[in-house]
Amino acid sequence: MYPTHKAGDYLVIALNGEVDLYYSPRAREQILGALESGAHVLVDLSAVEYIDSSGVASLVEGYQLAREKGLRFALVGVSQAAMQVLQLARLDTVFPIYEDLDAALAAAAQGQGSADERAGP
Amino acid sequence: MTETKAAPAGTPALQAIKPADLPAPPEAAIQVMRACSRDDLSSAGLSRLVGSDPVLATEILRVVNTPYFGLGQEIKSVARAVTALGVKALRNLALCLAVRDAVSDDAIPGFDMVAFWEDALLRAVAARELGRRAGLDDEECFTAGLLQDFGLLVQFYLSPRQASQWPRLRAQPPDCRLMMEQECFGATHDQVLALLGRVWGLPEALAQALGAHHAPEGAESEDVLARILYAGDWLTAVFCVGDKGAALNRCREIFAESFAMPPEEVTRCLALVTEQVGAAAQALGLRVSRQLDLEQVLNEANLRLARANRDYQELTWLLEKTLKERDELAAELNQELALARELQQRLLPAPRGDYPLCGMNVPAKRLSGDFYDFFELDDGRICFSLGDVSGKGINAALLMAKTSSLFRCLGKETADPARLLGRLNEEISETSIRGMFVTMVAGVYDPVERRVSLVNAGHVPALLLRDEGQVETFPAQAPPLGVVPGMSYQPVEIHLGDDLLCLYSDGVTEGYIQAGKALGLSGLKRMLRGLREEPPARILRFIISYLVDSSPQLRDDLTMVFLKGDNGGG
Repeated sequence: MYPTHKAGDYLVIALNGEVDLYYSPRAREQILGALESGAHVLVDLSAVEYIDSSGVASLVEGYQLAREKGLRFALVGVSQAAMQVLQLARLDTVFPIYEDLDAALAAAAQGQGSADERAGP
Repeated sequence: MTETKAAPAGTPALQAIKPADLPAPPEAAIQVMRACSRDDLSSAGLSRLVGSDPVLATEILRVVNTPYFGLGQEIKSVARAVTALGVKALRNLALCLAVRDAVSDDAIPGFDMVAFWEDALLRAVAARELGRRAGLDDEECFTAGLLQDFGLLVQFYLSPRQASQWPRLRAQPPDCRLMMEQECFGATHDQVLALLGRVWGLPEALAQALGAHHAPEGAESEDVLARILYAGDWLTAVFCVGDKGAALNRCREIFAESFAMPPEEVTRCLALVTEQVGAAAQALGLRVSRQLDLEQVLNEANLRLARANRDYQELTWLLEKTLKERDELAAELNQELALARELQQRLLPAPRGDYPLCGMNVPAKRLSGDFYDFFELDDGRICFSLGDVSGKGINAALLMAKTSSLFRCLGKETADPARLLGRLNEEISETSIRGMFVTMVAGVYDPVERRVSLVNAGHVPALLLRDEGQVETFPAQAPPLGVVPGMSYQPVEIHLGDDLLCLYSDGVTEGYIQAGKALGLSGLKRMLRGLREEPPARILRFIISYLVDSSPQLRDDLTMVFLKGDNGGG
């Protein structure tokens, strides 16, 4: 299990290490589980050393589920390794991304960070 | 457990038994036994009583001089025997002889009297041995052991027509036997024995232990003798019953629970009983029919225990069966996958000689999540693409089939790659499963103008290898298809000239080449530069073969498409 904690009305899920084909099902389960329970989710990627397409797919799935449920879903403290992967696929234009927790909470206070406000038509 | 102790009210068989019906022991023996329970009789008086019956006197003298009961000295007179034995031992001996002679050998037609006494002796010897260890009067234990199932003989004596049931009863372990007795006779042997004890005037303590020997844990004051009799019953069962393994196991349990003795003590006790039963039989003037072979009995018991492990064998068998079924299912699935793979490969365009485009796909598993395609439009331009579905396995393969079909279908009516990807994105966003998406590079090549219009949706950068060896990259301008609906795409216009455009999946750049090191974008660029003089199809084959050969198990599908600008020759 990846560590989680509450911050404001977010549930923060801190992924770490290699989020690959082996570990991403765990990440997916936790992210979707949190959203299913109605929590706004922040995924902390600061300790992620490697993320592959299956890891990215888990984030995309979380993003899509949040949009369906009208919940906020954002990434925070994205490590360089993770950011490169997101940028390569231009997914950095899809997810709300915040530098740190404070920035995410400040944005939430101003009503930002919902899953459908970044990329779009 | 008191209900087995007390005779069930209204058991007709038991109530119908009258003292006169009971087997009559030799009167002299009973008198001696009763006399020993009185404390007003001197040993001289007892001697006179014993001596008044020459048969009993001779028998007592014989027994006290046998090795089994021997007192360590030759005893020639009754008076000496009475003094040497003491009152208690004399009482027990008189009781043993009374029991032995109460039912004559031919009293029950068809009943194997020898077998009965053999079992009784085993119980007696076992009780004596266990009693000795527990610090009890071992002769009293012996007597109790000899007596404990005497009630059963009395039942057969009272209902001789049931004699044929004896072998069946004998083959049952003690607890089952008790239930069967209830069925056969309407009473159990301990109930009958209790009745007999009252008629004969058995000593109180002995009668109590005998009454409790099938429920020793329920006996008052933790009757040690009752526990000994119970254990002796099960030790005897090891020799008699059908399932010797279960009896042996039960003995081990009883030894552990009642006497805190380890399992090997059971074997030691069985060995002692085997050794001593002959001597005990000789001492009491009884016959044993057979030489007990403990080794054979233990072998049989252990074989039984092994058979009790049939559960385990059944499990093994079940496992083998399941594995076989699994193999059959796997074969079936393999066949299905082979068909699916064949179909997938047919979705890819056939290689064409002397054509600007060539491609190759090597799936990491049976099915691919990658695909590529190229086909000519009516106006002579060529539409091409390379896509990679997120995830692996059958779901990815199905989405791959869907996307490649959509691409070919929509591509023929939408000659603009940006609009084409826009439509694809709508279709996939609308209908695909959450979390699945497709990265794709698609373009339209104009062979006359030698220009390419290219769109990259979330895919790894397309590479343009210029003639001079420079490599230009065309990274994604938009996220993958299927993530966000309503996206619009902007094509990049490239003058291809006679340069090489290289599309590939991330399996190529992330594929391991050695010791967990990936080829990477820089590695791919280096290879392209080094091979740029070679024909495109050969470069493509070389790179793919290199990656396949470098890695025993591909981590991801490998897919490449090359578009070589026509320098006017074709």
